[in-house]
Amino acid sequence: MNKSPRVLVIDDEPQILRALRTILTEKKFQVTIASRGEEGLALAAANPPDIVILDLGLPDMDGIEVCAHLREWTQVPIIVLSVRDNERDKVAALDKGADDYLSKPFGIEELLARVRVAFRHSALTQGHKETIVKAGTLTIDLAKYMITRDGLEVKLTATEYKLLAYLAANNGRVLTHQSILSHVWDPAEADHIEYLRVYMRQLRKKLEADPERPQFLLTEPGIGYRFIADE
Amino acid sequence: MIPKGNIRMSRPIHNFQILLKYILALLTLTLTTAPLYLLREDLGTPLVALLFLIPVGLTTTFWGLGPGIMVAFCAFLTFNFFFIEPYYTFSVHHTRDLLVLIVFLVTAVIISQLVGRAQAGMTAAMAREREATKLYELSTSLAGLQEDRGIARVLAEQVLQTFKPEQIELSINGYAKVNSFKIQLPSLAPSLARNSEASIPVQTGRGLVGIIHLWRANPLTQAEERLLKTFASQGAMALERAWLAQAETRTQVLEESDRLKSALLSSVSHELRTPLSTIKAAITSLRSGEVSWNSSAREDLLAAVDDETDHLNRLVGNLLDMSRIESGALKPKRQWNLLGEIVGSVIASLGKLIENHKLEIDIPENLPFVPVDYVLMEQVFSNLISNSLKYAPADTTIWIHAQAEKDSTVHVQVCNQGPPVPEEHLARIFDKFYRVTAADRVTGTGLGLSICKGIIEAHAGRIWAENLPDGFAFNFTLPLNWEGSPPPQPSIEPEAI
Repeated sequence: MNKSPRVLVIDDEPQILRALRTILTEKKFQVTIASRGEEGLALAAANPPDIVILDLGLPDMDGIEVCAHLREWTQVPIIVLSVRDNERDKVAALDKGADDYLSKPFGIEELLARVRVAFRHSALTQGHKETIVKAGTLTIDLAKYMITRDGLEVKLTATEYKLLAYLAANNGRVLTHQSILSHVWDPAEADHIEYLRVYMRQLRKKLEADPERPQFLLTEPGIGYRFIADE
Repeated sequence: MIPKGNIRMSRPIHNFQILLKYILALLTLTLTTAPLYLLREDLGTPLVALLFLIPVGLTTTFWGLGPGIMVAFCAFLTFNFFFIEPYYTFSVHHTRDLLVLIVFLVTAVIISQLVGRAQAGMTAAMAREREATKLYELSTSLAGLQEDRGIARVLAEQVLQTFKPEQIELSINGYAKVNSFKIQLPSLAPSLARNSEASIPVQTGRGLVGIIHLWRANPLTQAEERLLKTFASQGAMALERAWLAQAETRTQVLEESDRLKSALLSSVSHELRTPLSTIKAAITSLRSGEVSWNSSAREDLLAAVDDETDHLNRLVGNLLDMSRIESGALKPKRQWNLLGEIVGSVIASLGKLIENHKLEIDIPENLPFVPVDYVLMEQVFSNLISNSLKYAPADTTIWIHAQAEKDSTVHVQVCNQGPPVPEEHLARIFDKFYRVTAADRVTGTGLGLSICKGIIEAHAGRIWAENLPDGFAFNFTLPLNWEGSPPPQPSIEPEAI
């Protein structure tokens, strides 16, 4: 991306808008702000942004709806902001096409990390795929179906591999239970969260140094899982 | 007199009963006349006159004043006809006999009146005694009742028993229609189409609170109406008493909640100010330019701001959780979860806070899935561990242990090597704002443990605390079955690729 990326922030809190505009401008973004859903949608249509930061609690319309409207015509990365304890809305927004979420209050490092991940994935969907994912001592070669830990090959079962490959291919991004279950298992099995829990435990045992305190295979409480690779 | 079980007594039957009394009275007279007639010559007129008073007295005693007076007159005529010469006529020849006849008539009428009055007095006394008994029964059965529906039901039942109507409907409106309901007895019978025959208001000192409708073919007598009114006023008093008691309880609850809210406000404003003061101090000193750009002081101040905002966020979270628990809006979003995973993410989120303690996690791998809300259970573990961190001395061990029990529950223990809690406080540490230590010695809103209790109970579990020989433990249990299903046991595919 040669010129500075355009970011559209839709939030009804003036203080948040002020802070985000200052910080993101500092980080060489072109920042556009909107305090209402309708306004945000109009601005997005008039001047398509490279990324959207969207608060789920807007005064005029539901943030999930804004998400759905944007997805009707654009694949622009969307990061939703929401308060803690609103897992239902977060999951709904993710299922409606949002790329990631952040719980308020959040640190700016977290936000920038999410933005970077979102940019990387939007670039990937348009161009080449990453085939080698590295996380600490772990190397996942998606092309060769090969996983090594400290240089030694790790044997995975077919389902374990499918699960890890899906998470690694989306590294840095949150994946909802629903989306993992329907991708790795069958869409018909999307309710059987227990499969996912058991296989995540298996993967952690095989890949993490301390399975009780995972470093790469992270749980997103009430939402899903996230694989964190080296940047 | 009224046959039991037959509530409805029609008019012809009633008339027939009266007629029967008169017939029986005449029969008594006839039965007396026959032997006297046979012995007429031996007895003499005055003796016969005396003996004729017997049926008059008997009749009045058994069948009342009316038949008594009738028998008195008939006896007078019979006496004249059969026993006063000339026989078989109503004429009298001797002045003496005329005198006997007149004396007989006067005596007979007086006797029957006296006996009749005594009889009536006794009947009335008995009726009053019955009324008194009924009232006593009513007030005894109303005495223990605290709840308006129970009171109304007892009142309706007693009215049904006492007045034997076909049907009774008791509608209670309460004050300002807040406690409205209806009771119909017998409850299984369909409602009668016609209007009720009697309606009695249920009235308290503060106004009309209800109405008793009775469906009964024969109208209420005056005495019955009086009794029914007394019943109604007894019921009204009992209802009023119950409502007053309720109002008092509500007031107490409100006062309690008011007290809690003030406690909350004072605790919260204190707790919120502490991190705010730190943040304000740090930020103003950074802005003043007195702290050099690269000093470690600057780093410290920024770290303090960061930590204190997290602290504030946790406080607000606790307050929100508490208000949700209080208002009953806490609805766990259950899923099959592994406790080990939940504890893992709690430990990750506590980060630096656990640096000074050792943590031992003992959750067996074969522990079944538990149907819980992941986020809420995180909160429980987080609060229990934070509490242990706060009270247990540095470098001691916090031990988290879970095991499945035989009764399809899982038992979790969070133990620490902190000081014991006096036995009398153990049950109360889960109460809101309850602290064992003085508030100024340990920070916190006093909400953490009561939130744990709220969450565990929303999961149909139980939470308690106990002292251990070398420390202190929080315990909780959670049911393993979810909507009647046991935890799933997903099969794992064999190792190989």
